[in-house]
Amino acid sequence: MIRLNNIEKDFGEGKVLKNINLTFQKGSINVIIGPSGSGKSTLLRTLNYLEVPTNGEVCMDDVILTEQPHILRRARKDAPMVFQSFHLFNHLSVLENCTIAQRKVLKRDEKTAKDKAVAMLEKVGMAAFINRKPAQLSGGQKQRVSIARALCMDPKILLFDEPTSALDPEMVGDVLTVIKTVLKDNPDLTAVLVTHEMHFAQEIATRSIFMDHGEVIEDRNKDDLFTNPQEARTKQFLKHN
Amino acid sequence: MSLTTHAPGMIGRMVNLFSQYGSLYLQGLYYTLLLAVIGTLTGLIISFVLVVLKTQKIRKKDHVLSRLIVRTSKGFAQTYVMLFRATPMMVQAMIFYYGLASMGFRLPIFTAGLIVVSLNTAAYLTEILRSGLESLDQGQEEAALSLGLSTQQTYRHILFPQAFKNMIPAIGNELIVNIKDTAVLSVIGVGELFYAGRSVAGATYQTFEAFLIVAIMYLIVVMIAVWGLKKLTQYMGKNPTDVLKSESEGTL
Repeated sequence: MIRLNNIEKDFGEGKVLKNINLTFQKGSINVIIGPSGSGKSTLLRTLNYLEVPTNGEVCMDDVILTEQPHILRRARKDAPMVFQSFHLFNHLSVLENCTIAQRKVLKRDEKTAKDKAVAMLEKVGMAAFINRKPAQLSGGQKQRVSIARALCMDPKILLFDEPTSALDPEMVGDVLTVIKTVLKDNPDLTAVLVTHEMHFAQEIATRSIFMDHGEVIEDRNKDDLFTNPQEARTKQFLKHN
Repeated sequence: MSLTTHAPGMIGRMVNLFSQYGSLYLQGLYYTLLLAVIGTLTGLIISFVLVVLKTQKIRKKDHVLSRLIVRTSKGFAQTYVMLFRATPMMVQAMIFYYGLASMGFRLPIFTAGLIVVSLNTAAYLTEILRSGLESLDQGQEEAALSLGLSTQQTYRHILFPQAFKNMIPAIGNELIVNIKDTAVLSVIGVGELFYAGRSVAGATYQTFEAFLIVAIMYLIVVMIAVWGLKKLTQYMGKNPTDVLKSESEGTL
């Protein structure tokens, strides 16, 4: 479980997150939607302290996150992120991308790390590419490796920051299918997704959140946000998406 | 006319000089290469530390003591780089060797020379490494941190290897510069190639021929270094497809 209490973030040009209070329950699939610049990605990045909030606290399994290195490292290994631009390690092979953090953070031996990596790469359909470098992969393949890399950490929480935004349209479907399968196969995994894929969001969400101007405007169960939005701003946004 | 008349004589004198003082020249070359190679490698290792200090971020939220440590170490790295880049290596050698000697620390001449080359090289490589790191996508660091890697692990396993690959031509250039610039260490009496040439010239009064041999030796060594660097850069710069192809063809 992860809880946000009165989270605010200010980059010096006004608040981009204003008094956010949210709790993400174990096994829930939380979708955050909203217009560009609404603070969705910043909110996601505060969950594992890639962005340190200006005010408020993030509480992960009853541990309040601070900038203490050991607390940060534990939180981040439990809540890895799948990035919009993949951010695979360019100098490492697909396999090494999936083993490096296992070996250095989880202290797994090489064989265990490799076995885990191969299993996760099989899950996302990338086991045949283990010796390739990121430069040899398509965008969709990179994103699938990025998902496998995160899964190798046996995460409790998986954060997705617009995972399909940088993909060619024909690759979006593949990646969304992989995400859907991964979440279905790991019912205890808590997922927080920032996405612009409204149909996908509606399909998988156990909870949907609409944000605008750094605030949570509407927070609903399942797909209620999409089928029966209450706030005028939400209705307006959904109408145009 | 005069060249064609004198050239065989000059070459003959050079051959004579080299056959007489060859071991001195080769010893000088040996020290030159030793200073350049070890100095560049040591400088590279020091630059890894300096660049981490220099690129630290001072955050308002940090504890006052932690901010003070960061500010001090960052300031030290910045000052170090500025001082070593803004003064000639010859002056650094004089100050370092005679300065320490005046304080009672008389280092062996070669050791003093090696330390000066290493410290000087570190300053230049720190700037090269910094720009190499800054040219990397910030996402590489974020991805590493988001998987729970520590800052040190992120630098060691993710950022430095990538920056290093981009730095190889610059490191090679620094090595070539060092092969030539170690000549200035002759001011403190380091027996490198230039010093050997000066010794031969002093003993024979054939200054032109003595230094022509020195020039030819520098030229050959630098040409070999440039060729080696070019090959290394070509290999490292190969895109992954080429490397894989070469591996599958058994050419690597």
